[in-house]
Amino acid sequence: MAPQISRRPEARRPGHRPPRAGDPFKRWLSLGAAAPPLAIVVWLFFVPFLSSAHRSFLREGEWTLRNYALVWRLYKIDVLYTLGISLVSLVLVIGIAALLCGYLRLVGHRFVEFLFKIPLFVPFVVVGHGMRVLLAPRGTLNSALAQVGLIDLNDPPSIAFSWLGIVIALVWKNLALAVLLVLGAYRAVDESYLEAARNLGASTFRQIKDVLLPMSAPSLVVASAFMFTSMLASFSIPLMIGGGEPPHMLMVDVYYRINYQDDLGTANALGMVSYLLAMGVAGYYLRTITVKPA
Amino acid sequence: MDARLRAGSAFLALPSPGRTVARATLRMTGVLVAIFVIFAPLSSLVIWSFTRTWHWPHPFPQAMGFFYWRKVLEGDLFRALQSGLLIAVIVTVLTLLLTVPLAYLLARYPVPFKAAILLVFLLPHAFPQLPVFVNATTLLYRAHLAASLSGVVLIHMVGALVYAVWTMTAVFRSIPESLEEAAWNLGASRLKTFFTVALPLATPGLVASTLLVFLYSFDEFTGTLLVGSPFVLTLPVYMYRTSVGYELQVASIAALLLMLPGIALLVVLERYLKSEYLSMFGRI
Repeated sequence: MAPQISRRPEARRPGHRPPRAGDPFKRWLSLGAAAPPLAIVVWLFFVPFLSSAHRSFLREGEWTLRNYALVWRLYKIDVLYTLGISLVSLVLVIGIAALLCGYLRLVGHRFVEFLFKIPLFVPFVVVGHGMRVLLAPRGTLNSALAQVGLIDLNDPPSIAFSWLGIVIALVWKNLALAVLLVLGAYRAVDESYLEAARNLGASTFRQIKDVLLPMSAPSLVVASAFMFTSMLASFSIPLMIGGGEPPHMLMVDVYYRINYQDDLGTANALGMVSYLLAMGVAGYYLRTITVKPA
Repeated sequence: MDARLRAGSAFLALPSPGRTVARATLRMTGVLVAIFVIFAPLSSLVIWSFTRTWHWPHPFPQAMGFFYWRKVLEGDLFRALQSGLLIAVIVTVLTLLLTVPLAYLLARYPVPFKAAILLVFLLPHAFPQLPVFVNATTLLYRAHLAASLSGVVLIHMVGALVYAVWTMTAVFRSIPESLEEAAWNLGASRLKTFFTVALPLATPGLVASTLLVFLYSFDEFTGTLLVGSPFVLTLPVYMYRTSVGYELQVASIAALLLMLPGIALLVVLERYLKSEYLSMFGRI
């Protein structure tokens, strides 16, 4: 799981001397070590973040809401499309991971566990390209299926360049992360609960449904929030495998708006919409990890 | 007797031979499905990278060989690989130098505004990167750093620092403090304690984190596309351009080269890569 902010418990342990930072001068000196990395992140993340909020209200140098009006008129379908794709992908990823990890936890299969770590190390652009080559109308999957006579080569179906292509690519890439997180949560469930369930005759599926899933529900919710924001914000996969015609996913809209229309105002208004969507999820995520002790 | 035995085996749920075979078949099928799911997109890349000509609707390439491998390794792809590697090395070294002292201080000392500092390094994970980087690009333009190697290094540093601060702080926290206390009690200075006790103990975790920072920079796409265009070309951006331009052989070779370091890392270091390093990595 992600690292956690928490107060370290040393102050409470009796007879334990917490490390002193010396005089106030030294304490402020330690801020010096933090300054350069902080400066880079503030300069190239926080200032641009604020300036995108600022620019979303500007058009031709004037304060206006016209950018948002344009977003509403042109992009409301795209917002729903983005949410829909992220939700479908998330449900698939979590569903598959919940069952697969149950099997890996209860029965175990080192090779399969290793297999599902591979997508973690395949960059997003490579996933996009691989899925293009596999799922395009004239891709390797259609080519292989045609050999078995399953599809008609004169009218090959196209999975790539559609919402289904994006979902498949997102699921493939995120499954590795989901397996990692869910398996970690499942492994933390004490064996004695599972033994009790087995003694009462629970099958593998019942052990997953009635013991593992409920007991790791909090971690699963955090993992879902984590992946949902990353799917909302996915850029290279929909850019490569999404269709040329609208609707597009939000990040692709932002990119096209800048690249083809040179319209920073609307692009930033779209960006603000994506921040707001992410904020709802992120707020929950931040609260969970800041409150929960390490 | 026989009946009682059978009743007993039913009670103990001993699997009959038929069920064992069925179960083994099911298991085998599952493994094959898993192999197909993971390798279908990846093997398509391998086939395309060795293809010379492949006219639809032929089931196999008409001509295969190293033709495109030889061709690309002399051309633009090699230059993209070179500049990508150079950028990744610079980003890794800078991140390591800036992060190790900070992570140690955050893990051990009451740094002022600690919670605020940690929050600054957490928030970039929660928000979409692309719209932020669009505005960062205009800032870099104003500083005359856009479309240059240093601009790309800087934009990579944002993600790399955020990742490194969190993982390296966790690494230092996982080292028992009592070992350092023993060194202090024996009269070692704080600096000496850091270099002779904390740093050696943290090395495995720091190495894992550093390798992932390298990989992050090597694979980074969004920031490089926005900031680097049109002069700085790294492998992911090059691969994107060739793939969208339907130069499938060239793009597939670039994709394989991009995957190589990550897969090598996974195979060699699987046991050392703790899930806390990876969970953040999966998103960026």
